[in-house]
Amino acid sequence: MMRIFDPHIHMTSRTTDDYEAMHDAGVRALVEPAFWLGQPRTSVGSFVDYFDSLLGWERFRAAQFGIAHHCALALNPKEANDPRCAEVLEVLPRYLAKDGVVAVGEVGYDSMTPEEDDAFARQLELALRHDLPVLVHTPHRDKQAGTKRTLDVVRESGLAPHRVLVDHLNETTVAMVADAGCWMGFSVYPDTKMDEERMVALLAEYGTERMLVNSAADWGRSDPLKTRKTGLAMLDAGFDESEVDTVLWRNPVEFYGQSGRLSLEPVTAGAVDAATGSSVLRGER
Amino acid sequence: MTFHFGYGTNGFANHRLDDALAVIADLGYTAVALTLDHHHLDPFADDVVKQTERVAARLHELGLRVVVETGARYLLDPRRKHHPTLVSEDQAVRVDFLVRAKQIALELGADCVSFWSGVGSPEAWDHLKSGVAAVLESGPSVPIGLEPEPGMVVQRLDQALRLRTELGNPDLLRITLDVGHCVAVEPQDAAACIRQAGELLVNVQLDDMLPGVHEHLEFGEGQLDLPATLAALTGIGYTGVAAVELPRHSHAAPDVATRALRALRAAEWLADAERAVRADPGAIDTLFPAAGRAVGAGQDAARVRLLTAFADVSDDPVDGFTRLYRYGTSAERRGVLRGLAEVGDCAPAAGVALVEDALRSNETDLVAAALGPFATRHLGRHAWRHGVLKCLFMGIPLTVVDGLDRHSDAELLRMVAAFADERRAAGRPVPADALALLGKAS
Repeated sequence: MMRIFDPHIHMTSRTTDDYEAMHDAGVRALVEPAFWLGQPRTSVGSFVDYFDSLLGWERFRAAQFGIAHHCALALNPKEANDPRCAEVLEVLPRYLAKDGVVAVGEVGYDSMTPEEDDAFARQLELALRHDLPVLVHTPHRDKQAGTKRTLDVVRESGLAPHRVLVDHLNETTVAMVADAGCWMGFSVYPDTKMDEERMVALLAEYGTERMLVNSAADWGRSDPLKTRKTGLAMLDAGFDESEVDTVLWRNPVEFYGQSGRLSLEPVTAGAVDAATGSSVLRGER
Repeated sequence: MTFHFGYGTNGFANHRLDDALAVIADLGYTAVALTLDHHHLDPFADDVVKQTERVAARLHELGLRVVVETGARYLLDPRRKHHPTLVSEDQAVRVDFLVRAKQIALELGADCVSFWSGVGSPEAWDHLKSGVAAVLESGPSVPIGLEPEPGMVVQRLDQALRLRTELGNPDLLRITLDVGHCVAVEPQDAAACIRQAGELLVNVQLDDMLPGVHEHLEFGEGQLDLPATLAALTGIGYTGVAAVELPRHSHAAPDVATRALRALRAAEWLADAERAVRADPGAIDTLFPAAGRAVGAGQDAARVRLLTAFADVSDDPVDGFTRLYRYGTSAERRGVLRGLAEVGDCAPAAGVALVEDALRSNETDLVAAALGPFATRHLGRHAWRHGVLKCLFMGIPLTVVDGLDRHSDAELLRMVAAFADERRAAGRPVPADALALLGKAS
């Protein structure tokens, strides 16, 4: 049995079929970072409802399927550019104190604007103050320059490199993150980002230490089972089960465990009992 | 520098002393209250000096601070428990033992030797005094802590303090306080006793108890206010040993000691958090959420205490509660709703708005917490009846509803009867709580 911890997946956009398939595939824990929802937000209130949902509703939904749900909270880089959204940084500290929050994220760069610089730096400072690790998104456009600048900002922030996970890496960006001592995240996607075979090649080259694989599944075309498929590809390529377990379970547990708030039992308290289902149905049984 | 949580070896009576010390240290305690006994560093053993040296080295290795306790049951007389005492005719046997204990305490580097008076008549007072004086005069200069013990000649703190005064306030005569005993027999609570003992306090024993019953209980089973007790120790600047005293729990010692330390750490966190909120009300924004992981099972009660502290010092408590609810997780919202019963009366309208919000949710915990005493006092009757009906819909037992019997009215019964009819018409079972409510009325 392959046990899987998906360190980056946006379950808000996924169906109960996905939850079922993930559990069947061996997924027992995950982290859902706060990100852009596809439809731009226009106010702080929209973020607050989203945070509440990641802390309560989505956690409850995941527990119905035997999956421990945690989240990372932040103002994402894309919306850091909208002054109507940037004010969420005022209420973010309240949320970073909560159970189930295991990191600050996703932060980082989208278009590398001064507004993004400001939000990134302020949120790294919040991570220090709340003693939380950080999940950093690297940009889709101009990725190499963006990753380099990301590492510079992290270095200046005073955060220890082992408290930082730099995500969405590929062949052109992995080396500088490995050298910096940060954790390395890879999103395995159907069309874009990484695929299973290229991922296995990178694991063969760089080893399994500080390496994390995620599906980053969201509202776009993506596959929440890419973690398992990568695990199978590793086995095909000659990695042993322990090495697969390191990448798919032990590494995410170690990284997010630095928060002191990781709980690998699904949390059902605070919501209606699964057997009655009335909370899920939102009405009479 | 704060005080040291310890555990009493008399609660590990079925362990070898070395094993007991290892378990206590491994659990995370940083002190031990060592009861000298026939199987735990016997003061009458031929090789007591050598044994003491070895135990001292072991304590040092494990980083355990130590106090010496002298309450062994059958150490001096195999037939009569605790006999002889300082109020017995053959007091000299007890004095000799206590002096030996002082020597051992010196060699262990212990804070003190703790002792009690004994069961006897009040007329034995002067005899007791001369016994205490004899202990003070003999052997090495080691502080001795007189512990008020229920049922003994000195059973309350004021008696211990009087005895000290009558002896001329000798510097080495101090006070040992068992906070459970305070619940059982003192006219004031443990925190007040701690403040009264003040700098004379040389040793503290921690356990829970019920008023009038001298039975050592695990934390949470009696009526001790543990956070307030620990806060009082911090308040007087106490830096000594505060050791759990559960001498009748040896059969399950490692588990009991684990639970005790968890309770102590939770209470310590809460005491610190209450202090922080009183110093800076804004601190509640991060402490209120953190109560879940810091306190665990008792988090609702802990959050109510934080709200109470906040209400005492905040300029605008209502705005504070509303924000804690607005930005709260389910557990935090439940805490705010429970707190309304204690602190909501100052602004009923704001509290009612939160209760109404909770009653709109589909979370059993929130609906249940919303229908507490605050709702009974302030929620409109129509909304309250709908809350009760919602419990029936959601399968929440009606026992959560405060004052249901007193406030049931014809309109509520009509609504419940109609609900029952609707269930029957659909061929679905009618919840037992609904039938019970209707049955009581008929």
